[in-house]
Order: sequence, then C-alpha cells, then structure tokens
Amino acid sequence: MSPTKTIIKWIIFPLGSLISINITEAQQTTIVDSALLERVSVLEQQIASQKPGESHFMVAGLATFGFVTNTTTTTSGGISQKAKTNSFPDVDHFEFSPLFLWRHGSKFLLEFEPSFDGTSLGVNWADVSYFVAPGLILRAGFLVTPFGTYSKRLAAGWIDKLPTDPTGVADYPPTSDFGFEAEGGFPIGSMKWNYDVSLTNGLQLLPDGELQSVGVVDNNKNKTVTARLGLLPISNSSLEIGVSGMFGTVGDANSPYENAKSQSYAADLNYVKLFNPILVNIKGQYNYTFVNDQNYINPGDSSVYTFDNKTTSGFAQISLRPTGAGAAFVKNLELAFRYGRYITPEKSLWGQKSDIIDVSLDYWLSWRTVLKIGYQSNKSTSTAIENSGDETKSESLFIQFAIQL
Amino acid sequence: MRNKPVKKIAIISIIGSLLMISQVIDGCKASQMVSNKTGAQLWAENCQRCHNTPSPNSFSPEQWETIGLHMQSRSLITDEERTKIVAFLKQ
Repeated sequence: MSPTKTIIKWIIFPLGSLISINITEAQQTTIVDSALLERVSVLEQQIASQKPGESHFMVAGLATFGFVTNTTTTTSGGISQKAKTNSFPDVDHFEFSPLFLWRHGSKFLLEFEPSFDGTSLGVNWADVSYFVAPGLILRAGFLVTPFGTYSKRLAAGWIDKLPTDPTGVADYPPTSDFGFEAEGGFPIGSMKWNYDVSLTNGLQLLPDGELQSVGVVDNNKNKTVTARLGLLPISNSSLEIGVSGMFGTVGDANSPYENAKSQSYAADLNYVKLFNPILVNIKGQYNYTFVNDQNYINPGDSSVYTFDNKTTSGFAQISLRPTGAGAAFVKNLELAFRYGRYITPEKSLWGQKSDIIDVSLDYWLSWRTVLKIGYQSNKSTSTAIENSGDETKSESLFIQFAIQL
Repeated sequence: MRNKPVKKIAIISIIGSLLMISQVIDGCKASQMVSNKTGAQLWAENCQRCHNTPSPNSFSPEQWETIGLHMQSRSLITDEERTKIVAFLKQ
C-alpha cells in the first residue's frame, strides 16, 4: 500500500469518523438541552405562581384517646361499696381538637379550636390576635383566661406527661371566657418578663354557692380582671415563676347575690433543665379561690345555709427522661410523677378533701406523639354538709395515645 | 377576707425565695442576653419549656411563620426570640 493510502486509511479516515461522531453528539446534546431548558422554564413559572401571598391557613391541633379501667370504693357509715368500670375511651380522657390557624401577614392571627370530648362538641378558644409591636399582643374573642399556666400551655394530651389533668386546676374555674386580652414578653438584661391581662365577662355564682364558668351568659354589668406576671430569671430560660389573680363580681344582677365577689390567686412554676444524661422537668401550680360571705340555698330542701366558700387546688409534678442515653429506645422513655391536692368548701354540698397521685411511663414515638401507661390513686374524704366523713378511693389504670396534629 | 394577708405573704415569700435561689444558681455563669443568642440556641432553650423540641422538617417555612405567631402568644417569648427561632426552623 502506498504511503498516501496508508495515511488516508489509518489517520484521515478515523479522524474524520471521529469528527463526524462528535458533530452528531453535539447536535443531539443541543436538542436535549433545548428540551430541558424548556421544561425548566415551565417549572419556574409554576413555582412562581405558588409563591406565598399575604395569608396562610393551616390546621394543627391534637387527638387523645385510649383505655381506662377503674375501681372505686365508697365507704359510708362503715359500709363499703365497690364499683368497677372500664371504657374506651373514658369521657374525661378522650379529646379530638383540630386547631384552625389563619395568619394574615405578620400581624394578624386567627385561632379556632373546637373540641369533641366523647359526649359533646365544645370550643376551647376562638379569638383573633393582633401583634401590635414587640412586647404587645392584643386579643379579642373567646379566649383562655391568663390564670396560671396549665390551661393555656400544658393541658394538651401530647404535652401533658401524664394521662390525666391535675384535679381542680385544669377543670375548675376560671378557664375560657369572652373578652379582651393584652400580653407580651420582653427581656430585662439576661432575664425575661412576661405579662398577660384580660378583661372578660367573668364567672357566675350559683344559688348553692358553686362558681360556674362553662355555658355562662353574662350575668351582670361588671367585668372580671385576670392578670399574670411571669419571670424567667435565668438566662437560659430554664426556670419560669408566675403569679396570677382574678377579681370580679360573680352574682346575678338584681339577685340576692348581686354584691357577691370572688377573688382567685395562683402561683406557678416551670423548670426544665438537662442534667446530662437526664432531662429534668418540674412543673407546679397552686390555685386559691374564695367568695365573700353569702347565704346560699340548698336545692334539696330550699333551706338557707352558709359556709366559708374557698377552694384550693394544686399540683407538683416531676418527669425524668434520659435524653442523653445511648440506646434510642431508652432515650424515648420518660417517667412522670404528680401529686395533687384538691380541697373544696367545707359544709358546702360538694365539700371534699382529695389527695391524688399519678404515675406514668411514657414512650415518645416522635417529638409530638406519645404512648402513656399510667396509674392514678385518688383518695377523697367528704366534708360536705351531708355525708360528711364518707370516703372514696379510686384507682385507675390508663393506656393513652396522644398526638399533635 | 381574714386569710387574704397570709396568702399574699406566702405567695410573695415563695416568689422571693425562688428569685434568690435562681440568682445563686445562675450567678456563677456568664449571663447571655437574647440578642447574643442564635436561633438554634433559642429554639433549644424555649421550646422545651412546655413540650419536646420540634424538628425543623416537621412543617414548611410558611407553616413555621404561622406556628411562630401561635407559639409566641402561648409562651410569651419575646418578638426577637420568635423571629430568630422561626428563621432557624425555616432553614
């Protein structure tokens, strides 16, 4: 073969082939890039049409359900009677409460939380808040009164470390009411203060002396003031202490009780600190309520009677969680203990002294999902005008699942 | 009411004692103001006051904006704390 033919065969021909292949690939790449660019452009337009506007709506909330078995022994006049029940779910420990949140810009927030407890559909709160300025939030509507912290911050099933609420704190007046509120928090050096003040319709004094807050229609021209001051004295916010007061006229206008006034006081404490590997969580609240001296009506026989109308309730709670443990299963366990004391007016129709002990072992499936196995012992002695001295001992075992929606 | 002064004194005494105890506990550590803290630090300190600290992946950035306002009204964290915590959660 001649040198020319050799060059053509071994150099030029392969080189030409190589060049033609690259030209073909480049053309194909150009075609692919064009299609890709067009697709990216379409996606960008779709994303742009989805960008957030001024308003945002979301649903959160909570659900709590489970099983409870109970044995109650009542002793009256030396004779004891025992009753056993179990249910799923027990009316006091089931809750389905979706929380509807609607935000407009960064200033307005609407909150609505209906609640189904197994027997009735109610409303926990329905209000609108205006974030006026740093340290000032104004709220109006059906709001949780700022008395203590349990009802406003700790009552949700996925937050409460135990399957039960502290007796006389979560369910005793005051709870939610119609009115207006101002609140806020601000730093002072390395500490923080917060305040919460509300003006609401208030409680209602019933003729037998009970204070009622649920289903109350405004019964007089006076309004009730509730206020709480909180202090976080440690710079890492591990400790908060607070004091609350609630003052108002509670009697129906133009009734024998039109001058009846109630005063309530509360002190609360919250301490959460990691002492590696154990997260220590301490909570407590003490409530005291009294009504000035009145003559009440016994609905049983319409007789007139009186008593020192004061109620005290409180709880102290501690929970321990080994968040620093190596094993994931151990890390998600939490042991909680609570002691509660509830004393209602002596010589009233519902007078009693109760000591309540709760213990629970929790397993956190996630930060907002928990399975609790709990035990409660409730020992109560009647101080009522009738059946004084009767004793009631109740023991309950709970299995409860709670989730934040 | 006859028990009113006793109750007030008791409440004030408890608060005063707790304040003194807290200052003793905190007195040996260097205090850090909110303005010097990061969003992550504020998130770890404040959320666990009531509940477990939420994972930032639990909600979208827009949802965190809404939840931030709701949480501020419940826990009464400061405006600056809420802004920093939400910014951290939205990352």
